[in-house]
Formats: sequence, C-alpha cells, structure tokens
Amino acid sequence: MTDLATLSVTEAADAFAKGEATAEALVRASLARIDAHDGKVNAVIRLDREAALEAAAAQDKARAGGVRLGALAGVPMMHKDMYYRAGKVSSCGSKIRKGFRPTVTATVLRKLDAAGAIDMGTLNMAEFAQNPTGHNAHFGDCRNPWNLAYCTGGSSSGSGAGVAARFFAAALGSDTGGSIRLPAGICGVTGIKGTQTRVSRAGVMPLSFSMDNVGPLTRTARDAARIMTVIAGQDPLDATSAPEAVPDYEAALTGDLRGISLAVPREWFFDGADEVVVKGFESALEVLKARGAKVDYVSCPSLRAIGTYVSVVSRVEGATIHANWMREHPGDYAIHLSGRLFGGYAIPGHYYVEALSRRGPLLRQFCKEAFAGHQIVATPTLRMRVPTLAETDIDADTANWARHMAVSANTRPFNYLGIPTVSVPCGFDDRGLPIGMQLSARPFAEGRALQAADAYQRDTDWHARVPVL
Amino acid sequence: MATDPVPLSMEAIRLWSGVECPSPAGKRGLEDFAALITEFEAVRGTLVFEDEPSTFEAALRAEQEPEA
Repeated sequence: MTDLATLSVTEAADAFAKGEATAEALVRASLARIDAHDGKVNAVIRLDREAALEAAAAQDKARAGGVRLGALAGVPMMHKDMYYRAGKVSSCGSKIRKGFRPTVTATVLRKLDAAGAIDMGTLNMAEFAQNPTGHNAHFGDCRNPWNLAYCTGGSSSGSGAGVAARFFAAALGSDTGGSIRLPAGICGVTGIKGTQTRVSRAGVMPLSFSMDNVGPLTRTARDAARIMTVIAGQDPLDATSAPEAVPDYEAALTGDLRGISLAVPREWFFDGADEVVVKGFESALEVLKARGAKVDYVSCPSLRAIGTYVSVVSRVEGATIHANWMREHPGDYAIHLSGRLFGGYAIPGHYYVEALSRRGPLLRQFCKEAFAGHQIVATPTLRMRVPTLAETDIDADTANWARHMAVSANTRPFNYLGIPTVSVPCGFDDRGLPIGMQLSARPFAEGRALQAADAYQRDTDWHARVPVL
Repeated sequence: MATDPVPLSMEAIRLWSGVECPSPAGKRGLEDFAALITEFEAVRGTLVFEDEPSTFEAALRAEQEPEA
C-alpha cells in the first residue's frame, strides 16, 4: 500500500477527491513522518496537530456531504513561519518576534484555506528570511535530508527540507534573493518565484519591499502550477499586486517543447562554477532538447550591472526596516544577521536610487539579450556544490563570510529582474547532494517556465527520489 | 582603492543611523564595500537623467510574452 506521505499535491488531492484517501489519513501520514524524522531534520517550528486533524475531519465531512471541493482539498501543507495567521505566533525565525501574534491573516493563507489545503503549522527558516544557507541560531539549524551535515539552503529552509523529507506535500516559502529556489535546488525539490507583484504579500513578513516574492515549494512542477493558480492574482490588501489575469497554469503543462527555444547566458552563472554542477546542468539541457527544445548559448552583458545593483536593494531596504531593533537590541540577532544588516546603513542613498532606477532599463536590456528568439532562460541554481553547515557558519567563524554569501550568486539576478523562475532538481553531485536548474521566463509567463519544468520532469526522476532518513 | 572603507563606514553609520557595529561580522561585511564601490564605478554614466524606479513596473508589462 502506498505511504500517503509520499503523494504529491496533485496525487493527494486526486486521491481525496476520488475517495481513495481521507483527509484524516493524509494528515496522519504526514504527522507520522514528522514524528519519526523531524528530530533529525529540524524543519518544524510549530505543529498544529489537533487543529490539522479537525480541519481534515471537516474536509472529510464536507466530501461525504457532497460539498464542492477546492483544488487543494485534503492536502497537508505547512508554511515558513512568516505567514501571519491572526492569533497564532509568527516568529519569523527570530528571537525578537518569538511571541509575536499578528491580528491579520495573510491573503495567501486565506486563498489556500479556501482551496481546501490543510495547514498543519509553521516551519523553520533563516532569521527574518535573511540567509541563503538555512542557519538559525534561535530554533537550531535546519538540516538537509540528503545528508544532515549539509545546508538546506535558505531562507525557506524548513519548506525545502520538509517537502524533500515527505513531511508534507507542499509549503510556502518566500524569495527575495533566492530563498525559494535555493532550498528547492539544495534539497532536491521544485520551487517557483513568480513575477514580482504576482502573488499578494499582504500579511507576510517584509524583508525588501522591492524584491520580496511569495511562492510554493513542491515535489513537482505540476504541484507548483496548481498552487500558483490558487494563490496568484491581484489583492486589494496589497496595493503592489499585479492586476494581470491568472491563467490555469496546470492546463498549459502539455509536455511538448517543440518550438520552444532556451537561452543559456554565457556570463555570470558559470563564473567559478563546480565542474559537477556544470555537467549536471548540461545533461539536463540534453533532456530538454530530446523533448523538442532548441538550446542556444547567448551573451548577456547586462548581467554585470544587474549583479552590482541587486546587492544593494535588499540590503538597504532590510536595514531600514530593522533599524530600531538594530539600535535597541542588536544582540538579539544572530551574529551573521546583525553583521549583514549593519552594512546596509553605510550604502549611500544615491546608490540605492540608482539601483532602483536602472532596474527597468536593465530588465528591457536583459530581455533583448536573452529572450530575443527564446522563451526560456536556463541556468544552474547554484554555481557550487551544496556546502556543509559548518563551512558556511559565519557565527562560528567570520572567515566563512564569502562562502556563505556566494551561495545565492545565481538566484539573486532574477529578483532584480523580477521575472518568474522555477528551480527543478536535475541530478546529484559526487557527495550525493542535489543539483538544481533554474528555468526563467518573461514577466507574467509563469506558465511558460512551469511548462518547461514539467516537461523536464516527465523524462527524469530526480524529483521523485526520496532521501533515506 | 586607497582608502579603507571600514572605519569610515562605521563612523558614518554611527553618525547617520545611531547603530553600533554589533560584532566582527559587521566589520567583515564592510570589507566588501571596496569591491562594491569598484563595481559602481564600472557602471557610472549608465544612469539616464529621466530614469526613475517606476520604469520597472512599466518594463515588466512591456516585456511580457506576446501570447502570455
């Protein structure tokens, strides 16, 4: 008999809709998996066991009563501990907000609730969503299910590790410099950051209002498509949310890549890249070619300026919103975070304004360079092999600073550009840790990126492999 | 770059923001500024007089796939 905890979002939803599995059984399978293994992985901050079982019972009752069910009915999920639910603690992975109880519920949680997803609680994360590795001095480091000595990627560490460990079918993460795509790539799961402004940020902890994104981590691109269809769209509670219509992303997953052309930028993404990562990425391109896609290497000189500017925006915005706490009790932050925030106060205002003012022109230039004649840009999610927790631990030794910061080199440019980007697992390195590939599309073409990701997963099984815990 | 940005930046942060260096990691972060300044020197002159942050939202809409 299939372990229900191994089902993907769409498999679980379909099993529930057909009456092949109850919501309660799906939740109990997730709880059993968490109980058995989270002592090692440390993905969970708060497990709402009884509330989840009650919600599952309500779903089962509704189905039995013939109520029309949502697209995610019966599906167990947990979320990064920065999505506000009125009355529930949202720690943001911090000591400072360890007792913070918001009075509002995030729009994305309300949308998931309405679609029938069962929220089982909250997940470990980088403190205030501000590191790319998954270290957390307050709740303990989250550990990679493929090898517990290695990073999970951050900042959505518990989301990536938990989906990989089959604790639940999907989780929300957030992505300001790669915080969905890094844990997805590093833990061997799928994650998408949509177009900037595509998903409402109302009721979500802010980090950098210019570059914050909400999105899911899942096992498959099809799962991500289903969740994005539910959560994307304009929200009156988020004045920045885009009014563009949201298509049914899942309907576009045909598996057909004939007529699709991929661009691989020669600049930036391969600077100092590990050979095993490049080989894994190139093998993935061959799979896409076999599906009918054309692949071209292109020159994108704009990436140097993009790489310069992206480092400024989130540092200044993050430093600004943390200024009171940094003045009043800086010792409540982990060493690596207060150290990172500190520099943000020294960056001149005109650097920040220049970075924001060049964003539109550079997006246009990048699109000319990369998307002329191409629909997809493909890049490795990380340049390096997955690092260990020890070799990226700044709190233990500031000599680890450069290695820690380098983890997000390949994900950050797409936050500055604001374009939708999916990370899919595309192999394992020589130490048995996952390798990821990013697939980016033009603004508001999330469906195109998901189409390529889904097509790739039809011919590979990296996303289906389960770590031994 | 001839001038060490670390002590200057620490003093500027104290003056403008009232924030003290929290740890050796704070100083280590400032050490990256020499490279950042060099990178900004490399893009000098590319900002156009009329450029402003709102051009980004316009570019997002303008650069959509025709059929998206």
